[in-house]
Amino acid sequence: MTLQTSAALGLGHEHERALHPAAQARALSGRAVRGLFRAPQVWIPSLVFPLFFAALSTAALGRAVEVPGFPAADSFLDFLFPATLTQAVLFGSLGAASELAHDIESGFFDRLIASPVARSAILVGRLAGAAVLGAIQAVVFVVVFSAFGAEVKAGVGGMLVLPVVAVLLAIGLGAVASALALRSGSVEAVQSAFPLIFISIFASAAFFPRELMRGWFHAVATYNPITWMIEGLRHLVLVGWHTRDAATAIAVPAVISVLGTALALRSLRKRLASTS
Amino acid sequence: MGALPVEAEGLVRRFGDLVAVDGVDLVVQAGEVFGFLGPNGAGKSTTVRMLVTLLTPSDGVARVAGFDVRTQAAQVRRAIGVALQDAAIDPLMTGNELLRLQATLHGLARTAGRQRGAELLERVGLTAAGDRRVGTYSGGMRRRLDLALSLVHEPEVLFLDEPTTGLDPMSRVNLWEEVRSLNTERGTTVFLTTQYLEEADQLAGRIAIIDGGRIVREGEPAALKAAVGSPTLRVQVMPEHTELARAALAAFGEERPTRPGVLAVGLEGGAGQMAAVVRALDEVRADVESMELHQPTLDDVFADATGRRLEGAEPEAPAEGAA
Repeated sequence: MTLQTSAALGLGHEHERALHPAAQARALSGRAVRGLFRAPQVWIPSLVFPLFFAALSTAALGRAVEVPGFPAADSFLDFLFPATLTQAVLFGSLGAASELAHDIESGFFDRLIASPVARSAILVGRLAGAAVLGAIQAVVFVVVFSAFGAEVKAGVGGMLVLPVVAVLLAIGLGAVASALALRSGSVEAVQSAFPLIFISIFASAAFFPRELMRGWFHAVATYNPITWMIEGLRHLVLVGWHTRDAATAIAVPAVISVLGTALALRSLRKRLASTS
Repeated sequence: MGALPVEAEGLVRRFGDLVAVDGVDLVVQAGEVFGFLGPNGAGKSTTVRMLVTLLTPSDGVARVAGFDVRTQAAQVRRAIGVALQDAAIDPLMTGNELLRLQATLHGLARTAGRQRGAELLERVGLTAAGDRRVGTYSGGMRRRLDLALSLVHEPEVLFLDEPTTGLDPMSRVNLWEEVRSLNTERGTTVFLTTQYLEEADQLAGRIAIIDGGRIVREGEPAALKAAVGSPTLRVQVMPEHTELARAALAAFGEERPTRPGVLAVGLEGGAGQMAAVVRALDEVRADVESMELHQPTLDDVFADATGRRLEGAEPEAPAEGAA
């Protein structure tokens, strides 16, 4: 290393080095995605567990589709498709937030913030990891469910909505969990939030049709936005293309993403203000 | 660069009721290796975290590379290189990838970043390991990579927080060589924290000793040691010559406590008196078995300043000038 090469690279004169937040975010996203491929043991369970759950439920409750009032479905497996994907995305995005918490615990986060990185790029990188995992999950599930005879009635359009919803939901839930990661700085705290988010899915029409619910549970499920999303997806899977259903299914996770990201950015600023 | 690399005035950091750093003043000149020495919990890391903008000072002012750490944190971050002891490296990434990431974060273009990364890997002797994941690196390799990462943007000031803590002696010496050559070849200013006396002695041109959040001594290691007192000369002679030798040595300074069978004297005239001591012992025909000159160590300086020995301090080693 000589002075000449350094001068040729334009180093040492900081005005010649322009910072590019987009390039920083891209580089950190690349890190998160590479991390997915290098530590698949972290997220493989997020694919396997929901699939097992779907298989068991279908075996145990398969005849539920014959119950009067149950939405017309070819099989219980078809009925569960949207819920299974939602469950998987939930697992996956909590994983992404755990990675962020782990960065804080291990000090990698300090390494980043001691550099001139755009603060938001740190969050973008992590959410990009969650988004890519969401897309992978959607594609894997479409393939696996199709192999077991499930069919998306809305055709190719419907099949395209699934990964879009998965990606948006991954970003949204990932952002909410990241806010928690940034506030607590602890992997355990992020993982302890799991039941809370899980309950919000169970308290929806994800695993049971609203048509057969009663009383307060029916009310909760009706006002739970997860229900709106899942029912939208379910119509695409069970019935066929309906633009309104597709729009609802996309709008719900889109709104969660926007709100979640705002919350996470606020938490990031708070963390930086208290430590930096 | 006209501004001082580091200047701090009345720097204070409180955590609740605990005052971790209690009014630290520092000046580091361009091109020097400054050693910040102190036991665990003395406030070293807290001070460094304030200087590298990871922690806001509760009180006082600090400027790094001419920028205020509080109001111009972004500029500070662009000017400094940081290798923190407790900031882990992502074990899933390779050395090359980490260097490229660091280059991007500092605004280097892709090709420049790649070229710079290759240069630095070579410099720290990790070229062959560049495509291996950091998880497979040894402790010494990680520290060298950490050093390379902190140099990606050719910082004006390099902060090394306990760079060799936990390393084996061989790796420690290797890292010292790196830091030394960086400083002499490139003129990089180095701010080094350490709990190892020997490290401060080996690397730093000037040191500050911090204890209980305050700086208790500051200056060149040699001057600090000289200020503590004269070197100790230890002489072992044939047992029957002990009294002869004691009388001869009395002319050079006060007798000091030592092991039985060994004579020790504070050499008031310093190492320059050695030849005269040898002649005097020869004149009284005392048969000398061994002779060692011990310079005061930084531990003696620390003990003088605080009344305690530095935690984990290495046993006193024979200093330069031993006969």
